[in-house]
Amino acid sequence: MQKSGARIGIDVGGTFTDFVLSNPNDGSLTYYKEPSTPDEPSRALIEGLQSLLKKAGMTSSDVGTLMHGTTIGLNAIIQRRGATIALVVSKGYRDILEIARSRMPSSFDFHASKEEPLVPRLRILEIDARLSASGAVSKAADDAELDRVAAELKALGVDAAALVLINGYTTPSVEIDMAQKLSEKAGGLSITSAAAIWPEIREYERTLVACLNAYIQPLMQRYFAGLKKGLERDGVVAPILVTASNGGSLSLVSAHERPVETILSGPASGVMAAARLAEAADVKSIITFDMGGTSSDIAVAQAGSAELATRTDIGGLPLVLPVVDVSAIGAGGGSIVWVDAHGLLKVGPQSAGAMPGPVSYGRGGKEPAVTDCYLTLGYIDPAGFLGGRMKLDVDAARKALAEVGARIGLTGDDGAALAAEGALAVTTAGMATELYKTLASRGLDPAAFALVPFGGAGPTHANLLAAEAGIGRVVIPPAAGTFCALGAAAADLRRDFVRSIRRSVDDKTAALMLDVMKELEDEGSAWLDREGETSQTRRFERGADMRYAGQAYELRVKLDENCRDAASIAEAFHLEHERIYGFRDTDTDVELGTVRLAVVGVTENISQPEIAAGSGKPACKGERPIFRFGKWVSAGVYDRSALGAGDQIAGPAIIEQDDTTTVLLPGWSARADALGNLHLERTVQ
Amino acid sequence: MKLDPVTLAILGNKLAAVSEEMCLTLQRTGRTLYVKETADFACALAGLDGRFFAYPRSIGVSGFVGLECGPAIAAVGTLEPGDVILTNDPYRSEGLATHLPDLHMIEPYFHNGKIVAYGWCFVHCSDVGGRVPSSISPVNTEIFQEGLRIPPVKLMKKGEMNPDVALFLNANSRTPDANMGDIRAMLAALAAGRRRLEQTISQHGAETVSAAAVDLVAYSAEKARTVLKRVPAGTYSFDDYLDDDAATRLPVRVAVSATFADGEVHLDFTGTDPQVSTAMNIPSRGRPHAWLTLRVLALVNTLDPTTPLNVGMLAPVKITAPEGSLVNPQEPAAVGVRHAAAIRVNDVLNGAFGKALPDVMPAASSGTVIPVVMAEPDGHGGRRVQVIEPMIGGTGARKGRDGIDGRDSGISNLANNPVETVEAELGIEITTYALRPNSGGAGQWRGGCGMELTFRVLTDDSNVLGRGLERLLFRPWGSNGGRPGMPGQLILNRGTEREKHLGKIDVLTVNSGDTVTFLTPGAGGWGHPAARDPQAVLQDVANGFVTIEAAASDYGVAIVDGVVDAVKTESLRKGMVASTAVNGQGVERERWDQAFPASVMDGLNRSLVALPGSVRQRRRREIFDAVLAELPEGFPRVAATQTAVNAARQRLEAAAGSL
Repeated sequence: MQKSGARIGIDVGGTFTDFVLSNPNDGSLTYYKEPSTPDEPSRALIEGLQSLLKKAGMTSSDVGTLMHGTTIGLNAIIQRRGATIALVVSKGYRDILEIARSRMPSSFDFHASKEEPLVPRLRILEIDARLSASGAVSKAADDAELDRVAAELKALGVDAAALVLINGYTTPSVEIDMAQKLSEKAGGLSITSAAAIWPEIREYERTLVACLNAYIQPLMQRYFAGLKKGLERDGVVAPILVTASNGGSLSLVSAHERPVETILSGPASGVMAAARLAEAADVKSIITFDMGGTSSDIAVAQAGSAELATRTDIGGLPLVLPVVDVSAIGAGGGSIVWVDAHGLLKVGPQSAGAMPGPVSYGRGGKEPAVTDCYLTLGYIDPAGFLGGRMKLDVDAARKALAEVGARIGLTGDDGAALAAEGALAVTTAGMATELYKTLASRGLDPAAFALVPFGGAGPTHANLLAAEAGIGRVVIPPAAGTFCALGAAAADLRRDFVRSIRRSVDDKTAALMLDVMKELEDEGSAWLDREGETSQTRRFERGADMRYAGQAYELRVKLDENCRDAASIAEAFHLEHERIYGFRDTDTDVELGTVRLAVVGVTENISQPEIAAGSGKPACKGERPIFRFGKWVSAGVYDRSALGAGDQIAGPAIIEQDDTTTVLLPGWSARADALGNLHLERTVQ
Repeated sequence: MKLDPVTLAILGNKLAAVSEEMCLTLQRTGRTLYVKETADFACALAGLDGRFFAYPRSIGVSGFVGLECGPAIAAVGTLEPGDVILTNDPYRSEGLATHLPDLHMIEPYFHNGKIVAYGWCFVHCSDVGGRVPSSISPVNTEIFQEGLRIPPVKLMKKGEMNPDVALFLNANSRTPDANMGDIRAMLAALAAGRRRLEQTISQHGAETVSAAAVDLVAYSAEKARTVLKRVPAGTYSFDDYLDDDAATRLPVRVAVSATFADGEVHLDFTGTDPQVSTAMNIPSRGRPHAWLTLRVLALVNTLDPTTPLNVGMLAPVKITAPEGSLVNPQEPAAVGVRHAAAIRVNDVLNGAFGKALPDVMPAASSGTVIPVVMAEPDGHGGRRVQVIEPMIGGTGARKGRDGIDGRDSGISNLANNPVETVEAELGIEITTYALRPNSGGAGQWRGGCGMELTFRVLTDDSNVLGRGLERLLFRPWGSNGGRPGMPGQLILNRGTEREKHLGKIDVLTVNSGDTVTFLTPGAGGWGHPAARDPQAVLQDVANGFVTIEAAASDYGVAIVDGVVDAVKTESLRKGMVASTAVNGQGVERERWDQAFPASVMDGLNRSLVALPGSVRQRRRREIFDAVLAELPEGFPRVAATQTAVNAARQRLEAAAGSL
């Protein structure tokens, strides 16, 4: 790895491909946005990279590392455009994907249907082999059985396959060995072993991990190959790392093997960047707020690390790999404002998207969107959108909102503004309620958090959301519009490992757990070595899923270095149980289900360059009226790039920058810190 | 509407979210199986009339929107801040609780010294005493056998737990700690609701919030009426049977007439059997109770998914449920497994609505939920007891769509258990957990397939429980020319010399080496099978949902070398259309109806229900014994001669006339 070269983070979004370049020589950051090319995502990346280098005064040979996040895998899964794959399962389990967890999305809708299985039943083959719960091979497949299955696989003519044996997680080598034999007999067909990739108990979820991996593998391999070639053509030969759903990253070679680890990397990168930024700014607990064109997402990070989930939903399919826990909370800038048949004002879930976009884009959109509301209320400048690259039609937006207003009895000169403010109130209330629910499910109180917005509309809406949700502080990063790319550039190498052992916690189990942990650590270290990771800073995060005997669910418990015997392992669980449920149960055995280990190769931190000190009272570049609580008030307009450290602004105010606009409400103040973050605080209770 | 459209939209969202936040708090802090895995709980906000104006959409039990807190609130007298009412008694809470394991709690929410709303929640707790562990048994005959009855009492007084109530609770449960854990979680949920409602009031004002509570109900009522106006006016009748009442072999009849007119619907359950002496009765108190109106809520929600869940959805619904019948039993009828009867209530409403809206309503779903339970010796004198899988079937086909294979959310939308966790805890080997090919009813659109569960027992003297086994006799019916699904089966040692077909079991004792196979019913088909696109049949055969033989016999599609043989198919289908005897309910039901025609049963049941409770069941048994004596053993599985059928029917008519 060329340590001296520039580190470049790239986030490919639906509308724009964002770039951040970190210059190792002077610590400066260079940002760039290129319109995305959804038909061929690598084109915008390759072309934009050259423009970025030019902007930074560099050439291809100056590139040290490319950190790249992509949604290709995710889109292929959601739109079911992945490879044609087969699944081989233990006899008796051909319907593992059809049955799934047996639930319907709604019990209240006769017309609800279940998710479409990733592999149709006709491409699912049974093999007469399985293990017992204790790990013994209770039925072995002989050569004839392997030949039969391999021949059927060949006859299906698939691109790739997955293999799952019941209880395969207990002894991964059995399945790994079988996958290899089947592959050889089936002419080198790529076969993902579920036990190899994720040896966790729960056959359906493990099957999905393997199937998802096989499903997107050919497509992602093609994409990466094309990208590499394209970059090389431009003389960019630096290593490419791919960001992962767990907030880390992995090498191109690893991403080839396990593309399933990358599918939720986009949102994860933004959350990781916010977590690092908050730590640097000495803010302990944050809720990230990523508001884009179609939706808004939140996530929680405390003490510099993002919360991970081990069960998320990917287009109706559960994913058990650890991923940064991101929750959708509602509308985006393109969400449509409408009136229902009974006269209620609604926002979304339909979105105008990038095409035709909000009415003010002038691309044929007829229904007003949230962005049109910002414009009508004076929050954003029609001439300054995307740094002035796109002119917005404020009259069209106003006219469309006036029509909405007329339908709900809001007429007169301010009909459009009243409708717009009403729509934002509906939107914000919806976001706040979802935010409450997300935090309630984790037992957290929003008032104890700061909101960190990013994405194109995040800073515009953040103050509204904070005010509604009772959050007293907002921290707006510099370059909030290209935040995911920054997160990518700074991503650590990271990989998660699991092993389910399912035993009561006693000294024997503790010893076994230590052995398993050691094995996973060795595996993790070897992986880091292979990734070409050279820094000396390596970190292991240890944990286990545990429960009281007879309990129906497990808690994820962190285990520190000192948890080496039965008593301390059990104590770690008792403490966590106490934290969540308020009591411990010392009469019942503690059981250890799954051992978890994350290995992290720490990347050099990218710090925000410090900004010069300001005068304290920055000059505003102008004033414009904004509409709040039913009347127009005059707000000072400030240029974000002109703010110095320590500068204070009292709301109402508008703070503009190339990639987004910050709205500062009356009763709030803003202060710029030395790293260029803007801290919004409530001044009136 | 009192409020403007913006405020109402905002408060509609916020108040529903309060109820959801309560649920999330309960789910996070609860720790029993019912809370964590099966989500058998709910929370809501009730207005001053004790009816729910805000109810969660996406979490917990959806069906209890129609419950009423009013009688339980009235029963305890004056309320003060910090008081919390507890009850589980279906009779004394007048149908708020519907069986004893459901603990219901109500907290008055005050603002400036006046009650502005009530928080409500319930949890299905692990055990409230009674004759059997977990308190539920289908063969209980009186509510006194079902556990501790808690009339509405103040569990909390001014924020302090009433120690006397706690003593009673703890003394009358096999799992007092788990129950207290659930109660704590419910209190946490009620407190979360109180805090969030206070905050909402501080943002919008108490008057506005109270107005929103009224407006939201009116808004849902208006939406429900708009949906119901789409139903052609008229009266639509339907009847269906439970195979038996769990104690006798007598089928149990559920009948309804649904009358739609101008955005209202009247559901008349006259003709339904008298209350049974087992635990399947539904304590509705003769009101539009949750268990009798689920299908109406689902209909409204299907046709307008944006309708806020609240009691307004039931404003257009009227009910007649004769007192003393299965759907409105008199005290002290047992009610523990009222959901078993509710499944069939769903089916008859589905059937009646289907006559009015053939393009909207599906055919019958598999209509059974069987928690297959294993109790195996643990080697220390006790038994390990665990659900292997909750077995269900599929959903019925509807116009334009095949039914769903192996899923059925009709009455409970339970998650299944990973086979690997089951095998890690029990000494069994699950050899098959799969769909059951050919079980879905044939039709232009195919019914969803039922399922198979086969496991090998590895411990001697193990007990298998299969409560909820249903539709072994009367099949899930097809609709509009569609065929019924295959009935369920229970087979011991399938495919061996020791193979044995069992009927319903309460407890089955098995030994190491035995295999047990549960086959759940398939769901009904929609439309004539000869109208099914041959390519769809070919696809089903390729995927193995239908065998090549069934493609020919049930669909008239000849598949040769992996393709449809058009010529043979045409001739097969000509034969099918010619034999017009399409019976959507299956041959067993057809035979039964010949001896027990609907018109006679309606009259008989009307008379039986009117009899005093003490003689009702005895009279019924006498009549059925006499009628069945005319029919062969095993009827209606076994055909009867026309003479026997006539004799039976005449006896039935005579009995009905004499009452």
